[in-house]
Parts: sequence; C-alpha cells; structure tokens
Amino acid sequence: MALIAVAVFGGAFRSEPLPFEVHEVSVISAQDYAALSTPRPPAREEPDPEPASVPAPEPEPDPEPEPAPEPVLPEPVVEPAEPEAEQDPAPVVAPEPPAIRPVERVAPEPVQTPSEEAQPDVVEQPEVVLDQGADEPREQQQATAPEAAVDRIVTEAEQTDALAPLQSPRPPRVRPERPRPVATPPEPETPAPAPDTSEAVNAALTEALGGGDPVSDAPSGPPLTSGEKDGLRVAVSRCWNVGSLSSDALNTTVVVAVSLTQDGKPIADSIRMTSSSGGNDGSARDAFGAARRAIIRCGSSGFDLPAEKYGQWREIEMTFNPERMRIK
Amino acid sequence: MIRILTGLLIAAALFPASLMAQDGPLRIEITEGVIEPLPFAVPGFVPDTPEAADTARQLTQVIAADLTGTGLFREIPSSAYISQITDFAAPVQYADWKAVNAQALITGAVGVSGGKLTVRFRVYDVFSGAELGNGLQFAGGIDGWRRMAHKVADAVYSRITGEGGYFDSRVVFVSESGPKNDRRKRLAIMDYDGANVQYLTDSSSIVLAPRFSPTGDRVLYTSYESGFPRIYVLDVGNVKRRVLQQTDGTMSFAPRFAPDGRTVLFSLEQGGNTDLYALEIASGRQTRLTNAPSIETAPSFSPDGKRIVFESDRSGSPQLYVMRASGGEANRISFGQGRYGTPVWSPRGDLIAFTKQNKGRFHIGVMRVDGSEERLLTASFLDEGPTWAPNGRVIMFTRETQGEGGRASLYSVDITGRNLKPVRTPDGSSDPSWSPLQN
Repeated sequence: MALIAVAVFGGAFRSEPLPFEVHEVSVISAQDYAALSTPRPPAREEPDPEPASVPAPEPEPDPEPEPAPEPVLPEPVVEPAEPEAEQDPAPVVAPEPPAIRPVERVAPEPVQTPSEEAQPDVVEQPEVVLDQGADEPREQQQATAPEAAVDRIVTEAEQTDALAPLQSPRPPRVRPERPRPVATPPEPETPAPAPDTSEAVNAALTEALGGGDPVSDAPSGPPLTSGEKDGLRVAVSRCWNVGSLSSDALNTTVVVAVSLTQDGKPIADSIRMTSSSGGNDGSARDAFGAARRAIIRCGSSGFDLPAEKYGQWREIEMTFNPERMRIK
Repeated sequence: MIRILTGLLIAAALFPASLMAQDGPLRIEITEGVIEPLPFAVPGFVPDTPEAADTARQLTQVIAADLTGTGLFREIPSSAYISQITDFAAPVQYADWKAVNAQALITGAVGVSGGKLTVRFRVYDVFSGAELGNGLQFAGGIDGWRRMAHKVADAVYSRITGEGGYFDSRVVFVSESGPKNDRRKRLAIMDYDGANVQYLTDSSSIVLAPRFSPTGDRVLYTSYESGFPRIYVLDVGNVKRRVLQQTDGTMSFAPRFAPDGRTVLFSLEQGGNTDLYALEIASGRQTRLTNAPSIETAPSFSPDGKRIVFESDRSGSPQLYVMRASGGEANRISFGQGRYGTPVWSPRGDLIAFTKQNKGRFHIGVMRVDGSEERLLTASFLDEGPTWAPNGRVIMFTRETQGEGGRASLYSVDITGRNLKPVRTPDGSSDPSWSPLQN
C-alpha cells in the first residue's frame, strides 16, 4: 500500500531541494584501494603481541586503523596503581578510599612452625635439569596469614565516609500510601446539615483568628503582600549601618515603632523604641539610634508602598535584630 | 461532617498569620544591614580670637584624623558643605547637613588666653535633629593642644559608638635603627598615633618587651645591660629606672604588671628550665607559679586579676594555657594548627590576642578566653607581639618585612580584621605596649 501510495501521490509532494554544500571527491575501485593498502600487515598471520587477557583484534573490514579501543582494554598496567595508592598518605584526596577491610589485626590462623625438614640439606644432590614443560621452581614460603589480614586496626569511627554506600541499597520502592478515607455509603435518612456547618465553620475560623468581634479595630484594606513587605525590609536594611556600633549594641535587639505619612515618609517625632532585649540601657540607646537613622535616611523620599493599602502600613513596628551582623 | 469540621479547624490553625487580617501595626523584622564608615562633618572649630585660629585649625584636623583612623567614620570634605559654622552658639541647620549625608556633626570653638587653651564642642545626630549628649569643654595648657584634640575625639567616639575611646593614650615601644645585623634598640614612647616620640633609654644595650603599668606611669622592660636579661622598672615621668629582679645565674624576662600594679609576673630561667613567677614589688617576695620541665613564658593577667594566660610548650609545641593567678593546674585553650605565643588578655576581658605561626606565615589573632571562636586578623612574613587599645577594640603589633633590608614597624588592626594600617614612627619600631587612657 505504501508503495502504491508513493507511486500515485509521490509526485504531488515534490518540493524545491534544500541547499547543500558540495565537495569534489575522487572515486576509486575496490582493486585500486586494495593495491593502495597492500603495505598493511596481515592481521591474523602474525602472533598477537598483546597478553592473553587482551581480546584478539577482530578482522576488521574497515581499512582505517582505529586506536580508540586501546584505553578501554584491560591493560596489564593496572598493578602499579596499587602501590601508588599506598604511597599517597592522604586518602581524602585519593580518588578511591584505601581498601582497608575491617578485619582482625592478628590472623585467625597461627603461623605454622617450619618443619625440621626445612633445615639446609647437607647431602650433596646431583644437579638436575628441569624439564621443558615443568613449572618454574617456586621458593618455599612460610604459611602466612590469609589475605584478609591488614597491618592496621581501623575502627568504625575512623572509616571514611567513602566506604559508606551513597544510598541505601534498599530504598523504599514506593511512597507509603496515604490512608484513604473509607467510602461511606450515602445515608438517605440524614437531614441536610448546611446551616449547622456554616455556623461551625464560622466559629472555627473566628476562634482560629483570635476570636472576638469580626469588626475589630484592625487596619482596613487588603494586607501587604510578601513582596511588598520584603521591599520595605530591603529599603530599611540598606540604611541600617551597624559599623560604628559597640559590641554590646550589636547584641541588642530593638523594636522601633514609626508612623508614616500617606506618601510613605516616616514622621520623625513618631519614631520610638517600644522594647529592647539583649543589652543594657546604653546599648539599647545606641542600637535605637542606628535604627532611627536607618528609618529616617532611607525613608526621606518615602518608602515604596502601595497607596491603596495605607491603612495597613500607616503604623509599622520594625524589629532590628543584629544577630547576623555581629562580629564573627 | 465531623471530619469536615476538623479539617477546617486544622486549616484555620495552620493558615499563615501573615495572610490573615492584620491586627495592630505592620510588623517586619530587619536582620541584614550594612557595615560602613559613618559619615560625619567636623567644620573648623571657631576661634574665639584671631590668635586661636591656627590652634583651632590644627585641633580640628587631629579630631578628624582620630575619627577617620578608626575605620568606623568617614569625614565629609569641607568642600561639600552647604553651610558653614561661624558661630558656635548658633542653631544648627540640620537640613544642610542632611543634604550632604552627614550623620554626625561636630562643632566647636577654641579660645587661647594667657597660655591657656579652652576647647568647647557639641555633637549632633543630624538625622534625628538632636544633640548627642551635652556640650563639653576642656581646658589646659596651650602645649597640650594635641591631647585636647584626642580628648574631644574620644568623647565624640564614645557618644556615637557607645564604647570608650582610645585616642588620648600612649604607646611605649622599642625603637630600632641600623642594619639588621647591627641593630640598635632603645625604649621610646609616643602618642597612640605616632606623634610626640620621646626616647626613654639610650641604645647602649639591647632592650626588649616594654610593658605599661595599669596607670601608665611606669614601664617594665627587659635589658641586657648586665650581660644577662634582667627586668627593669622605669618611671615615665622622671625616666629613672631600677632593677626589679636579679638572681645570680638566672635570666628573667617577659614581665607584665598585674591589674593592681603591685605585682609583676615574669619568666625565670634557672638551670635550663623556665617557669612563671610572681613578684610583689613592695616586698620583693617571689612566688613560683608553675613547676614544669617545659618553657612557660609570656604571662598576661585577666582584667580582674584572677586568671593568667601564658605560653607553654608542655604539649610538645608552644600553645596557650589559662590558670588561676595563684598557679595550679592550667587548661590548654589553643588547639588549632601551628604554634601560639605572646597571649594578651583584652582589657574588656572577653578576648585573648595572640601570635600564631602556621605554614610559614605569622598571624595576629583573637580567641575567646576559653579558646573558642579563633579568628586570625593578619597574615604576613612576620607579625607578632599584640597589644590592646584601652577600649579593647583595636590591636597594635609588630610587622617585620623579609630580607636583609627587612624593617620592623608597628601596625594596628580592628578586632574585626578591618582597618589594618601602619603606625608612622621615625625609625623602625617593635614590641609596642599600649597605655590606658590618660587622666
């Protein structure tokens, strides 16, 4: 069907060819290419110089030699890496933590006492010639501790964090499901409780809001958004210079009340300290002085506050907490 | 239904208070500020008479230099002034000073009459539109005009920052001259800012480590005049001196007064061992405070006189220890890398300044008296020998440059690490000791 469709409608979708870049090339035949590549040594006739662990190169039809696989091969140069790691006294910077296993310092098996036959043989032995196929003569070794033994005792507290798994091998497969409400069948005999619910909701909200008369003396109008409050906070912070305050004043938090005009300017006479904590009267006075300067200086041209919410910011209480500004 | 009500109650309880209807004034908390020099203006003090004009000008310059030198204040150049102070009693035009961002304004008047100098001044908080404290007047000899200026600056500093000043103080130090391999040393005394240098000894013998008495009228120092290091006490007023401690076959050094001025702590080397001793100046009674095979030296009293911080290598390397003034068991307080030495207790009692050598660099640092919150304030080829300003906010020390032509000089730094600056002296200088405020 697809072929038929192409045959029938193929011509209908012809479009202008996209522009492309053209490079001149020369084409040679396979024989010519073989002649050009004759100096290349045959791949399979010669013995492989690589160790047995290296996979034998496959007969590649591609004439271009590609050295890319070499770094991937398991080269026999792996062994020197171990002494290098031992020479490095700083396991923190090593890419891999030292392979210290929490094993006993003393080998679990005692070293065997050399047998009496291990004494030098005084009997002269005729010189023998090893067979060609015989193994290399091995030096006799004493029984040693198993490989698990180490020369250091590493307590659990001394182990590096790198030895710990990055994450639990047994992560929770799924999040625990929330308890689902049990579906209760509709009760046809239940009367409609709408009026009672609204009263209860109102009562709950009223209680949560502090109770009392909903028509309180709270400022009217919509509240300031977090962004508007942050803007005011940043504006005052820019002028709150604590550089010349004493250490005691830097330990004193003052709460300063201020009234603002409708254009956002602080009324200087209204600035007063309502409370302080963390210092004596003198340090509170100095801390208040710095706070008052900050309010007056940065409010001299009016704080950027929404005029329609004047009822909300007409009176402001600013807490100047210098905890982060103390001499560290 | 119960579940719905419960949910609504929980939601109402968790509802952010900030999004609810605001009750009372808008409340915000300011936790971030700026740390920058406070701009101030000090128009030239008004001379009462034409004869006082030069003194008034010089005095104003010293006041401005004192305040600016702290790093806490920045002087607004007079070229920026909108209004001038021509009458000390005239009301201040706050708007003019606000316009040039002067947060503090210092006005004054100077009178000279019959060799007597009178200085009156006031400090204003410009943005509050009010005076900081009341006006103050100093009077004294015309020759003491610099001290008068320092006293005015101390009062201004105290009114703005809320802590004591340190300008009307002096520093005793070792003046060094000549090449490094043949350096001549003599005791000298100067104002805190390097002015009025006077020499207390000649350079015929090596002198080391001068230390002021708590009242600033005497100086302890070590001299090799006899061939061995001996402790001398020198009266600053009449430059008379006497040997304070002399035991044949011993070496005594690193002296320091107790806060009461009646006892001197020092190190005594005897038979190859160095320990700390206390000496009552009046009776000459000597008490051994430490008894260890290690070297104990550089003792310094706490301001209340109850504890002593000192340097000891009993743990294998020089570290700082604190013990009771009567001796006994000492607690090590320095545990960082490197070697610690020359500890000095702050006059406020809250910090200990020290010299630290680590990784080929020297540092002046401070730490709490329990060893916590160590802060290194400087780093150079060689910094050593800190001494505290009377208000405990500034430290002066010796900095020596590298090489054959290396020269020792005095530097000061704020305990925050800011405002590091050299103290100008005529020659090389080392081993400073800061006096208390003068009376």
